[in-house]
Amino acid sequence: MDKDIEELLPFYALDALTDEERELVEKYLAEHPEARRQIEEMSDTVSALPLSVSPVEPPRRAKKAVMARVVKDAEARARSSKQSQSSRREMRGRDILRTFTLGIATLAIVWVIILNGQITLLRNQISTLNTALEAQSNSLNQVIAKLPQATPSNVITVSLKGTNVQPQAQGQLIADPKSQSAVLVIVGLPPLEAGKTYQVWLIDGGAPVSAGLLTVNENGQAVFIVTSKEAIGSFKSLGISVEPKGGSPQPTGDIVVLSDL
Amino acid sequence: MRINSEGSPLRAQDEMAPERLSDEILVIQVARGNSLALEALYDRYASIVLGISLKVIGDQALAEDVLQETFWRLWQSASTYQAERGSFTGWLFRIARNLAIDAYRRRNIRPQAMPGLDGNESVLEQAPDPDVNVVEQVQSVIQNRQVRNALTSLPNVQRQVIEMAYFYGMTRQEIAEATGEALGTIHTRARLALQKLREELNREEFEG
Repeated sequence: MDKDIEELLPFYALDALTDEERELVEKYLAEHPEARRQIEEMSDTVSALPLSVSPVEPPRRAKKAVMARVVKDAEARARSSKQSQSSRREMRGRDILRTFTLGIATLAIVWVIILNGQITLLRNQISTLNTALEAQSNSLNQVIAKLPQATPSNVITVSLKGTNVQPQAQGQLIADPKSQSAVLVIVGLPPLEAGKTYQVWLIDGGAPVSAGLLTVNENGQAVFIVTSKEAIGSFKSLGISVEPKGGSPQPTGDIVVLSDL
Repeated sequence: MRINSEGSPLRAQDEMAPERLSDEILVIQVARGNSLALEALYDRYASIVLGISLKVIGDQALAEDVLQETFWRLWQSASTYQAERGSFTGWLFRIARNLAIDAYRRRNIRPQAMPGLDGNESVLEQAPDPDVNVVEQVQSVIQNRQVRNALTSLPNVQRQVIEMAYFYGMTRQEIAEATGEALGTIHTRARLALQKLREELNREEFEG
């Protein structure tokens, strides 16, 4: 117990200390619960002192002056609050628009990135296919060399395209239109599951004529000799379909390649 | 539907007559900008606030200024009131007392009713206005009488120290100088005065 500080306690409760003295007491109170209890009792007693003063009824002008000032301030606060709310609404509207615009821009950027990715992927695929096609063309030249009945001057090349079912498929048919055989080079056809096969069809306007069953390697590539009872030039189109193992008399499955000759 | 000063409809709680609401509820409403709540508190305590101001300053015009400033402070800082730290009236009267002491010091006006050893205090003799709420008026009169009785029971020298410190904001050194007593004597009188006052208020069954 600090006697000097304890002597200040009544004046602390009476709010009659200097700032320095008050700080001293407050530090002391923080460390001495008994002193805090004394202060609570003293403060409780001091709080009765204002009631020792007889009330003095103020003149009406005093209340009018107070309330006029208060009401004016309340109205100003209300106006300020409304303006603030309005401003917040505008800000919110701008924020929504900004967010929406940013969202659209972000989507656009993401979409461009995706498209670029797809384009790159497609370019890579095309490059791969071209490489494969070139390799197959080299093989084809060797095959062509072995075809005794065809002379290079009569040979035509027809580009083949995949259908929507297999859009990445592409190939070439190298043939002498008067011949009954041709060389089909195809890439982009995925190997089929067991029990299914590709079947090549020659179409002249009537029922498609089977030109044989086609098997692709693990890279989806194939070189195939097309044979027909009629001259290749008599047909208008060439198609490839997916059929049950062993083939079908007529196309029954998905058409993966179909091109005019 | 009643509309408050903000132009907003009063809530269900507000729909009760403000004079029936507790101080704590009213001060919360004041903090929300409800001028009707402030008016209710003014009606309830303005006469005491003016009494305190007049006792400290001793000048009617200045005391009225303090009265207005006290309620303006209440309007502006109601949100800072913390019920757990003491009663609303303790907080409000402390504002009034501090403003009055500041005004007194600023104007360097001596209080007209500086407590003398004979206990004569002209301001204390003024009666409350009969137009105020009767219940509150009766309660105020009872409380006033209880505290005055308790104060009167103190030896004059002790009461003098209490009033000089509380109502005039005089430091212990200033009181010692004004009374010509040793500082230690002032300390003793203050402590004994508060002890005796507490005992007397308990005996009077005072409820602040």
